Amino acid sequence: MSDFAIETAGLTKRFGKQLAVDGVDLAVPEGSVFGFLGPNGSGKTTTIRMLLGLASATAGDIRVLGQAMPRRLANVLPGVGALIEGPGFYPFLSGAANLRRLDAADGFAPAASRAARVDHALERVGLTHAAGKKVRAYSLGMKQRLGIANALLAPRELIVLDEPTNGLDPQGTREVRHLIRSLASEGTTVFVSSHLLAEIEQMCTHAAVMSGGRLVAQGTLDELRLAGQTRARVLVPAADASRATRILTDLGLPPEPEPAPATPGTQPGGAGLGATSGTRGSANGPLPTPEGHFALPGEGAGGAGVGESVLSAVLPESVAREDVVAALVAGGVRVRGFAVQQASLEDLFVALTGEGFDVVQ
Amino acid sequence: MSSDTPPARIAPAAAGVEAAAPDTHGGAPDLLGRRSRRALGWGFFASELSVLFRRRRTWAMLAALAAIPILIAVAIRVTDGGDGRGPAFLDRITQNGLFVGMTALVVSIPLFLPLTVGVVAGDSIAGEANTGTLRYLLVSPVGRIRLLVVKYAAAAVFCLTATVTVSLAGILIGIALFPVGPVTLLSGDSVSVGESLLRSLLIAVYVTLGLVGLSAIGLFISTLTDAPVGAMAATVVISIVSQVLGQLSQTEWLHPWLFSYYWLDFADLLRQPIEWSSFGGNALLQLGYVAVFGALAYGRFASKDVLS
Amino acid sequence: MARKWQRWVPAIAAPAVVAVVVAGGVFAASASADLPEKSPHDVLELAAQSDVQSFSGTVEQSSDLGLPDLSSVPGGVSTGSSGGAGGGSGDSSSAAENDASLASALELLTTDHSARVYADGSDKLRVQILDQLAERDAIRHGDDVWLYDSSDDTAVHTTLPDPSTLGEGEAPAPVPTDIATPGQLAQKFLDAVDPSTEVTLGADTSVAGRSAYDLVLTPRGSETLVGSVSIAVDAETGLPLQVEVLARGASSPAFSIGFTDLSLDAPSGDLFDFTAPEGTTVTEKPFPTRDELQGDGSTDAGGTHPEPVVTGEGWGSIVSLAVGADASELTSSPVMAQLLTPVDGGQALQTALLSVLLTDDGRVLVGAVPVDALEAAAAAAPAVPAPPATAAPAPAE
Repeated sequence: MSDFAIETAGLTKRFGKQLAVDGVDLAVPEGSVFGFLGPNGSGKTTTIRMLLGLASATAGDIRVLGQAMPRRLANVLPGVGALIEGPGFYPFLSGAANLRRLDAADGFAPAASRAARVDHALERVGLTHAAGKKVRAYSLGMKQRLGIANALLAPRELIVLDEPTNGLDPQGTREVRHLIRSLASEGTTVFVSSHLLAEIEQMCTHAAVMSGGRLVAQGTLDELRLAGQTRARVLVPAADASRATRILTDLGLPPEPEPAPATPGTQPGGAGLGATSGTRGSANGPLPTPEGHFALPGEGAGGAGVGESVLSAVLPESVAREDVVAALVAGGVRVRGFAVQQASLEDLFVALTGEGFDVVQ
Repeated sequence: MSSDTPPARIAPAAAGVEAAAPDTHGGAPDLLGRRSRRALGWGFFASELSVLFRRRRTWAMLAALAAIPILIAVAIRVTDGGDGRGPAFLDRITQNGLFVGMTALVVSIPLFLPLTVGVVAGDSIAGEANTGTLRYLLVSPVGRIRLLVVKYAAAAVFCLTATVTVSLAGILIGIALFPVGPVTLLSGDSVSVGESLLRSLLIAVYVTLGLVGLSAIGLFISTLTDAPVGAMAATVVISIVSQVLGQLSQTEWLHPWLFSYYWLDFADLLRQPIEWSSFGGNALLQLGYVAVFGALAYGRFASKDVLS
Repeated sequence: MARKWQRWVPAIAAPAVVAVVVAGGVFAASASADLPEKSPHDVLELAAQSDVQSFSGTVEQSSDLGLPDLSSVPGGVSTGSSGGAGGGSGDSSSAAENDASLASALELLTTDHSARVYADGSDKLRVQILDQLAERDAIRHGDDVWLYDSSDDTAVHTTLPDPSTLGEGEAPAPVPTDIATPGQLAQKFLDAVDPSTEVTLGADTSVAGRSAYDLVLTPRGSETLVGSVSIAVDAETGLPLQVEVLARGASSPAFSIGFTDLSLDAPSGDLFDFTAPEGTTVTEKPFPTRDELQGDGSTDAGGTHPEPVVTGEGWGSIVSLAVGADASELTSSPVMAQLLTPVDGGQALQTALLSVLLTDDGRVLVGAVPVDALEAAAAAAPAVPAPPATAAPAPAE
């Protein structure tokens, strides 16, 4: 039996000439809280629709909860709760009536306990007080909660939440985060899509990044952070530069020219993203170094001063940063500045997906 | 990815979730129990009907339909008869109030009934797509075929409700405003009030049957679009086109194939003895329409990407 | 994806199945029966010996006489518009009444109808013409004859004279229930079979689910418009099931009447017990004399009764009737104005089977012949009424 709640291979969706999703190989481990990141228009929602059998894939295979989709749809979907591209409810029905209808649509849900199930779900999202109110009168955040309540109607193995915190106030966002954690602690796999990195960073164990219909990174958050390349930079007098280069190379930190602003896939070196459990190799290229350089002490805004050199190298995990300085000093290098940059996920995200408001085609 | 499929494991796995976290659901463990087999869908059908009949729009349409016989009856009462012109049965109302329902049916069959049926059938899938509920129903999961069948059945129930509304409102207002007695049939024979009520019920069934073909067309159109208003309008327009074609002698060869062909033949149930051939012909014709457009709706909906 | 197109399979299959069922139904209906060999003479005998008097069935009549659509004429054909609700037909002027009855007669002949016929013995007959949202009934029960029209809720009651009072050689006068069934119409044709008619048998056929011989009457002469008359004779009982009249050179019938459904069981007796419903305007009409009947439709009751003159023989017979000033009254009616076209010496109506000429000197000539023949006949015979002739009536009348 597969250990993945969601697995796709070469998942592709074409709308006419436009390739909305292009050869995506997702691997969502069971029990994980999986963040699905990407800017608007990067193919996240289309992928989710294919996972849930709403849209058919142009090519590729999908397995959800170990079973092929959409062939085993009727068996798979009862174990999946979903919030897809915002809530959708009958405005002329109350929140509870909406949930009762969706519960009735699930052929595996016994009618006798329907009311109790609905109450329970409403309680979990804090909507009990508004249960009898028409959805027309709900605020966006309340509708969002109701959508989440729908995903929680039955015991699920997998919960798919597309932009769950949309329209929620900070308090609501916190509650959702808390809810997701508690779901995860019950053993439910949670697949959360978002265009907000911070959200993912705070609640997910794993993440994948979509850009322009392609999956550009995937792994645990730690793996992703590592892939962000911790770099060491050393400021030395120009005269010591060659000696410092030799010492660093011996340590396993061959200095490279300062990388240019990110262009994915063009850079040599750097660790590839760790593939989850090693079973599926994510064919994601080496990651670029974040664009914004950190300043070294003594370094001016324009870079190294006259007669000084900056050496920059990827700092492997195996090498402690204090050992680097110690080795340089022991080798007679006059270290004028030393800094280690831990790349943030945000840097990584921006590097992967580009910046600005342009919707990726 | 291999295509062999492991056995269904949803139910046991769901139970496993429960077992893993007994405390979170502990308050009411039974309410999260799952049926081992999928229900037949009567619950969902009941839910569909309740959604349909909890809409204000549905009630507005039924009220408008009920207003037709009431307007007719009141107008005749106030003007004391008339000059014999007007729809069939109109001049019989003053003698027998039970004819109000029949007159109202004659008046509503060409436009008002198809209009309301077009609204309900055209809205069936497109309306769900428009409110965004379609995707949630499908992942519930309701199953696309089951959704189509339930939507269609609900539209058929509406056809019956609409027809009975016209008929019943007519009978009631007729009883209130006019004398009631044995009903003279088209053949000149009279039948008792009881039998005439029975025949009114038969007529309601007949007219309903006549509308189920249109409902199937509406259902199909509704799967083509996410804009319910467009689907409704298209369905109503098709019902009008069918009737116009039915009036043109140039398209006479086509007439028996139009779903509106038998609409006004409900009067065959007011003959003595009852002429059943139009009832049978109507039923067969509508069955053909339901089969063809039901299959088209299935083909379209089952292969459709739900992107709404 | 392979699965995607499979979902359209029902959408392709359903119309195909419907088409197959429809085609299958047509096939089953037209499957010709395998009947024992018979000569045309045998079939004539079979038809003559038919003694089916009790049956119920549905009769379809269709006409393609080449007449314009009359439904748009004011006071014309559309049912339900003739006669006022208030006073009934008695208050209308005689001209309007004539026009209405003419329109109604034309309507019966020229448009398609479906009727139910119930017969039990020779003196119980009920014919129901099934109009949309209306019905016209003719009920004969013994000596009582009722005509009921539901569209204006009127009834006409007539009592037939005792047949024993009829003079020698005098046939019972026709009543409206007389040509309502294919059998009655077929009998008229069969009675008229004479040497001018060639009688042959067509392929065995099936009418109303019953196997039948197809008796084809073909006029030998070329003067008539009638190409052939085909009569389906029930193989079992000899009852004529269908009559189709083809115009010369036509491939589809100009006029046809036949059962679509037939049961030889005696219908329920209470179908023949008719009393005018409450609120119905009832007109008592005395039984018309034979003379009145012959003048009916072309003149007012109460005037002189000119005798019709028949010239020609068999299928080419022409009936001529002097109606005097009434002719102009006829031509002025909106229904007739729509139908008639001016010709030399009068106005003419040409249909696929029958022609009518209204001469300017006040005669009406009718025959199953082209208008030219009527014109020639009108020119040949002066306007003075000739002595009555006793030739057979034109078969197509």
